[in-house]
Amino acid sequence: MERLPTRKFTTTPGTRDILPPESTRLLKTQDRIRERFRMFGFREVVTPALEYAEVLEEPKLRDASFKLFDPDNQMLLLRPEMTTPIARLAAQSLAGSPPPYRLSYALPVYRRSSVGRGQSAEFHQAGVEVVGSGSPAEDAGTIALLVDVLQTLGLRAPDDFAVVLGQSAFYGGFLRHAAPEAAPQLLAALAAKDFVRVDELSRNLPDKTGAAVREIPRLVGPAADGSVLDEAARYAGGEVGNEAVAALENLREVLAHLDAHGCLGAAILDLGLIGRRDYYTGVVYEVYASGLGFTVANGGRYDNLLHRFGKDLPATGFAISLERLISILPHEEMAPLLVLLGDSIEATRAANHLRSSGVPVLQLAEDLPPEDAARYARSVGAAWICYPASGDDALKLASSEAGGEFFLTTPEGVAGEVLS
Amino acid sequence: MSGLRVAVPKGAIFEDALRALGGAGLPVGVLRENGRRLIYEANGTEFIISRPSDVPVFVEYGAADVGIVGKDVLEEQEPNVVELRDLGTGACRMILAAPAAKAAEVEEAIDRAEVVRVATKFPRTARRYFEGRGRQAEVIALHGSIELAPLVGLADCIVDLTATGTTLRENDLVILDDISTSTARVIANRGAYRLKNREISTLLDAMQPEGAFRASSPRRPR
Repeated sequence: MERLPTRKFTTTPGTRDILPPESTRLLKTQDRIRERFRMFGFREVVTPALEYAEVLEEPKLRDASFKLFDPDNQMLLLRPEMTTPIARLAAQSLAGSPPPYRLSYALPVYRRSSVGRGQSAEFHQAGVEVVGSGSPAEDAGTIALLVDVLQTLGLRAPDDFAVVLGQSAFYGGFLRHAAPEAAPQLLAALAAKDFVRVDELSRNLPDKTGAAVREIPRLVGPAADGSVLDEAARYAGGEVGNEAVAALENLREVLAHLDAHGCLGAAILDLGLIGRRDYYTGVVYEVYASGLGFTVANGGRYDNLLHRFGKDLPATGFAISLERLISILPHEEMAPLLVLLGDSIEATRAANHLRSSGVPVLQLAEDLPPEDAARYARSVGAAWICYPASGDDALKLASSEAGGEFFLTTPEGVAGEVLS
Repeated sequence: MSGLRVAVPKGAIFEDALRALGGAGLPVGVLRENGRRLIYEANGTEFIISRPSDVPVFVEYGAADVGIVGKDVLEEQEPNVVELRDLGTGACRMILAAPAAKAAEVEEAIDRAEVVRVATKFPRTARRYFEGRGRQAEVIALHGSIELAPLVGLADCIVDLTATGTTLRENDLVILDDISTSTARVIANRGAYRLKNREISTLLDAMQPEGAFRASSPRRPR
């Protein structure tokens, strides 16, 4: 009797199996990112997928998290992002060692797919956090690392991508000084990217203040040409308060370091970019790629997060969304692979011989006719099929494409063809 | 020569959108041809025509750089886009309405925080409105002919958009409350707003005469 399926044997909504060649691309991209992270002195950590719900503060992220209860009825959640777990780890497990802590990760995070627009319930992030330093050089260093990663993966700035850079304390500081009562509403409107609401609110303010309230967040332009900074300085020359003046100075230092890193050309300044509400305390940035409507990566300075864990440590960092990143990477050739047919001792010897000369070999221990062998090879992404031939070390090689013709060759000949 | 792709909504604010874009010097003439094409190109600007409720989707995903859409749609969908300008045109009101004969009864039920059934094309807006008033509602999402629902007993009242109130009157519905007012907005994709800032700013500046600062009608606090 045939067994009837009694369960849902599909992946859960928003999750998926990742198969080759996509999985290969994901893992390879992760590897290359890790290598760049290491070059900048970051050490990789792995945190648990489950955290206590209390660890996470932001209501929106808590809302978006999968929750469950442990045997003691404590509410747990699947981490919806990595910055908070790393902050917890830094405050808790690294308390004995001297800051700053330069930590990196490459892990999946989880969000209920119905919340917000995210279509995926599980997606992969790679990122770094510098915990325990307030220096603008660290902000610039992480941005430079991000640019380095994207360039290493074959993207070019500013044609393929740009880092949009803001300083949330400039506009925030100005508002707290010039329009303290309207500030919370204005910042909420700007965090929602609603300039119409910003304009509405600005009309209740004195003319000069109102004009600055409308115009500062609309200042956008390449970081290299200086015009946005000049405009900002023009406002900062007036009555904007110490916080805004300091924020602008901080932004200048970050830009000077970016220039020294040689990646100022990748940055677009946007003084209206303040990021999530009440989260970023200094520079904040988002990476956009041409042809993709979403952010590829985002980050910034969040000096208040560690308070939550009882530490007074400033921090800065970014997260790259790997699925989105991979979708914009230039196409890459598949790694070479050869399928060697046969379960004879000769076949096994030939497979080892080929591997020792650097050819990746999948030995299929079956006697398949060439047509089936070619079909199998194509299904595993192998461009070549090969049979042992009579005679010392002789091999028959053919392309796995339909109609591939066999020719007689040696292991060295095979290596030459497959690895070329 | 803007190099932008602009999403234009069919329906009520189509003409307003064309006037605003045309006023900004974009070649919108092609859109008035009565073709069945969905995508038009003129002088380096591409136009796509879609349902109003789809405009934010195209823009959020970056399939269009800029779009024109009613505030009502934005409040309902809360898309992650940049809202740049109030065009001030296409004004209409989001209202709560009920059949004239049952209006008093429905109002009383709402006041007593009884659960009323509400038919609407704007379920999130309706839910937010009732929650904001501390009242309870069972929201029934429909796609069209909302006015029909209370007439056949599907719902006690409706939350819907009205410009002139004609359809409401014709179906013997009376307005119980104003929820919000809505006008046409210019929205932009988050990435396009930064990467094509110059082009988008130029477009907005050119729209200025029509969308210049005006005292907008005060909104009801919610």
